[in-house]
Amino acid sequence: MSRLHAPLSVPGSTPLPRRLAALLCAALGATLGPLAAAQEPAPGGTIQYGHFQEPSCLVASWVQGWYLQRQFSDNLVSRGADGKLWPWLATSWSVSKDRKSYTFQLKPNVRFTDGTPLDAPAVAANFKRWLDVDPAKRNNAAFQYFGDKFESATATGPLTVRVTLKTPYQPFLTVLSHATHGILSPASFERSTAENCERPVGSGPFVVEKWNRGLNVVFKRNPNYNSAPANARHQGPAYVEGLVWKFLKEPTVRYGSLLAGESDVIYDIPAVHWKEANEKFTVVRHITGGSPLRLQLNTAHPPFDDLRVRRALAHAADRQRAVEVASQGAVPFEGNGALSQSAPEYLRELASRYPFDPAQANRLLDEAGWTGRTPEGIRTRNGVPLTARVAYGAGGIVTPDIAQALQIVQEQARAVGFNLVFKPTALADWWAGKNRGPNDYDILPAYWTASGAEVLQISWRPDAGDKPNPNNASRFQDPKLWALIREADQTADDARRVQLYQQAQRLMVDSAAVVGLATLPVALASSPRLKGVWLAGGVGEPVFHDAHFVK
Amino acid sequence: MSTPIDAPGRGGRGLARARLLWQGLGAVAALWAAASFTFLVQTLMPGDRAMLLINMAAGNLTNPSPEEIAAVNARYGFDDPVLVQYLRYLGNLLRGDLGVSFQQHQPVLAMIGEQIGPTLTLAFSALVTAWVIAVALTLACTAREHPLSRAASALQVALATIPPYWIGTILLVAFAVELRWFPVEGQHSLAGLVLPTLSLALPLAGYLGQVLQDEFARVLEQPFVTSARMRGMGDLGVRLRHVLRHAVLPGVTLSGWALGKLLSGAVLIEAVFARQGLGGLLVAATSARDVPLVTGIVLTSAAVYVVTNLLVDHAYRLIDPRIRLS
Repeated sequence: MSRLHAPLSVPGSTPLPRRLAALLCAALGATLGPLAAAQEPAPGGTIQYGHFQEPSCLVASWVQGWYLQRQFSDNLVSRGADGKLWPWLATSWSVSKDRKSYTFQLKPNVRFTDGTPLDAPAVAANFKRWLDVDPAKRNNAAFQYFGDKFESATATGPLTVRVTLKTPYQPFLTVLSHATHGILSPASFERSTAENCERPVGSGPFVVEKWNRGLNVVFKRNPNYNSAPANARHQGPAYVEGLVWKFLKEPTVRYGSLLAGESDVIYDIPAVHWKEANEKFTVVRHITGGSPLRLQLNTAHPPFDDLRVRRALAHAADRQRAVEVASQGAVPFEGNGALSQSAPEYLRELASRYPFDPAQANRLLDEAGWTGRTPEGIRTRNGVPLTARVAYGAGGIVTPDIAQALQIVQEQARAVGFNLVFKPTALADWWAGKNRGPNDYDILPAYWTASGAEVLQISWRPDAGDKPNPNNASRFQDPKLWALIREADQTADDARRVQLYQQAQRLMVDSAAVVGLATLPVALASSPRLKGVWLAGGVGEPVFHDAHFVK
Repeated sequence: MSTPIDAPGRGGRGLARARLLWQGLGAVAALWAAASFTFLVQTLMPGDRAMLLINMAAGNLTNPSPEEIAAVNARYGFDDPVLVQYLRYLGNLLRGDLGVSFQQHQPVLAMIGEQIGPTLTLAFSALVTAWVIAVALTLACTAREHPLSRAASALQVALATIPPYWIGTILLVAFAVELRWFPVEGQHSLAGLVLPTLSLALPLAGYLGQVLQDEFARVLEQPFVTSARMRGMGDLGVRLRHVLRHAVLPGVTLSGWALGKLLSGAVLIEAVFARQGLGGLLVAATSARDVPLVTGIVLTSAAVYVVTNLLVDHAYRLIDPRIRLS
């Protein structure tokens, strides 16, 4: 058994130098005591938080649900923004020699807010629930990340859980740190789906009191909270009494609410106010890892079955300028379409692999035989115009800023002879599969929120028989790529694993199966009265447990 | 039914009863048509509904197995012939059961009940406000050779053409964000109702005012107005007691239509001012093709519309007793 994390308390006799050190610390503590007490934040107050989207269920396995779940549940482990893993509900864990078995030691005396104990059987029950056969109960993130690898979760002691996988899977702990894998009360699962959606029960710093649909979710403090992660700024209950999580969909009302003092903190600062917000308020920003917003080019069909045409598109537009102009600095550019810059496995040099170079784009298209021209200036080959359909869910993945950036790209691509046709698709139709069939699009902009390279197996898994992987919209099926990703996912050696992930990125970007566009920042602006709001290292989930008001 | 011609009282009652019956039947037919149309459009639209529900629950694109698709189809009866689904829906509707939301798993009736209050409050306060503005401007300005009255008339035309969403955003930025006279979020207080109400009421007041003034100017020319003036009645008295009573009739007719417009306008205004309401519910339901919820909301709006029009019809005869059954 190799230890990843030592238990927090080391049993046995304490050596003399350490005892001396402890004495010194105690003396120092005595002198610093009053000062430290003065710095202890004053409790009280209710945070008014202006959020954006409202999910249809408070336990949702997509990122808007993760943000909420971070408030009412705790995970086994916590991930820092640097990728380091910290103890949380699991005070320690160990991995078997074959790297398939994880044994978690749980924090004692933790209870769910319905009063039931958070113990080993409860954790095992959560694993079973995540991988339920019923799509209405299942956690889709768990299903996609380790559904095919999971073997069993067993309580081997009152506070000891052993999770066994069929194959080694190195990103497992990172995946478990995502708020969607927060541990919920198994007793609550006995209730109806409606109740579980409306009043989920975890052990987190806040308790869902009431969901006023279309308006807000009212949280109150969990007064018995004793299970903050080791990387939290304090242990024990939250400083504030409550949290009102408001759904302010319109950017004007959201930012206006912060200006007028009706909100203490807001999510997603509108681009036009980005500069002002940074001057007036405390802004925290987390660049989400995982797959950035990139153009997935359909490599299975003309025109993008030709590498030269894919590269020509990448060179055709000044994507960096387009994103900067459209978002006014609120959204940083991401040139590496394979992975986001905050991922520890990120390969920076790939971000500048395809600089803005219309001459090169024209050369590549000439070589590829797109030498004819329509009267409008669109290139043709054998009489067929160089048209590419850009399909996306309107109002969902593509925000107004990104839509504007895409229009700039469209205009510049036109100058070298591309005709990009936008196919915005109503969300209902989008989820039902419209414009997403393998032959329905040529470019599909999308992202996938994650911490780092653990996302690659989702985005690049090859099609299973005649069922295309809907998340591999590039339809890029190079067996070499899948072999690299699978090997990396199973490699324990950190340096080697990163190297393999980077080789995979290089293959994706060199083959221009994806063309990078933008990062996915999570940004909060808070009033100077509110201190201590931070973004978790998983995917930037807002954390209000340490937040407190100052006079 | 034979009614003696020389018994107008009884005959009037019988006719009134028949008329009520017809109106009731008409209302039921209108509701049935609204429910059927919405249900069928939602059901017949192309796209795999089971796939849609699984993907929306997952929040991303999944590759559900045929068994998972079959399970969802069986749960909601998507596999049954459309006629069977439709009859089942109508049957439930007759029992007052609007069903359970596909996506949010809550009873539709309860969801609508939770959201309808704020929407109706907004719509009716906008209707009343629009009337107050329109009547005040009409009384003060119609057929007066004064630059101010011409300016008021021009203002009304301008208001009538401005979209409420735009007015709402301008009012929000000016009076809530900048001047801080009103709260930004419009849900929590009476003061918060002012700007959303004005956003909907101003364009309607412009339109209503135009209609009122045309009629008002026409009535001012009528002989009975001249005779009232000759009896020595003052200008304001004439305008208030004689002319207004006639001039409001087309406006009252319009109010039934206006309420429908206000209900649809509320969808956007509720979003601008972050208010609860049917609008947000409808948008969410439509984008999830949540058939029971969409149909329930459409049915509710239709019911409000039908009831209002019945009321308008009766108000008409209260205002002008000369209007009798034809």
